[in-house]
Amino acid sequence: MARRPPISNRVRELRDQHGSMTQAELGDAIGVTRQTVIAIEQNRYSPSLEKAFRIARLFEVGLEDVFSWNE
Amino acid sequence: MPFREKSAWIMSVALLLGGVLYFGAVVSRWSESGQLTSPLIPLILIYTACLVVIAIVGHIVIAVLAPKDANAPVDERERQIFSRAGHYSSYVFAAGILISLGIYLISNSGDLLFYFVFASLMVAQIAEYFLQILFYRTSI
Repeated sequence: MARRPPISNRVRELRDQHGSMTQAELGDAIGVTRQTVIAIEQNRYSPSLEKAFRIARLFEVGLEDVFSWNE
Repeated sequence: MPFREKSAWIMSVALLLGGVLYFGAVVSRWSESGQLTSPLIPLILIYTACLVVIAIVGHIVIAVLAPKDANAPVDERERQIFSRAGHYSSYVFAAGILISLGIYLISNSGDLLFYFVFASLMVAQIAEYFLQILFYRTSI
């Protein structure tokens, strides 16, 4: 089992700020399943750089406004 | 639960059930005749047919219940899950083959070799599906 990287994110918060976008809607928009969105929000999965950029662009914020390294 | 996790559950249950029935029949024949019998093609065909039927029916049911999930392409996390589960289960298979070869060297029985290789294949496949389920539920 992989150790969780010290990366956290504000995906859930940003979803709520964008008209309560659902996890399924976000998943469809960036090309992942709803379960993967859930895993990202719970910090159980760190998305690829491409998906990270897609999330940031979707919410019109910078990459570091979505993801942060906690150490 | 994701479609492919449900699929992994169906396949692992089908394989477990099939394995128990197949090796149950082998052990039963062994205890009746007092010696290990050669692998029977009809028994293997019945095992394969059961596996195929359970897999097809199971997948039809879960696809009908969630058609959108069933048609969704595999995403990047799922690709990692499958890749990692396949990687670890290959070690299970390799260990099974090594054990089988060791047993063949000791027993010099081709029948026993067949059963151990067949069992290794089943165990490795079941391990792969269980690992997929585990990775779906934990970090990857």
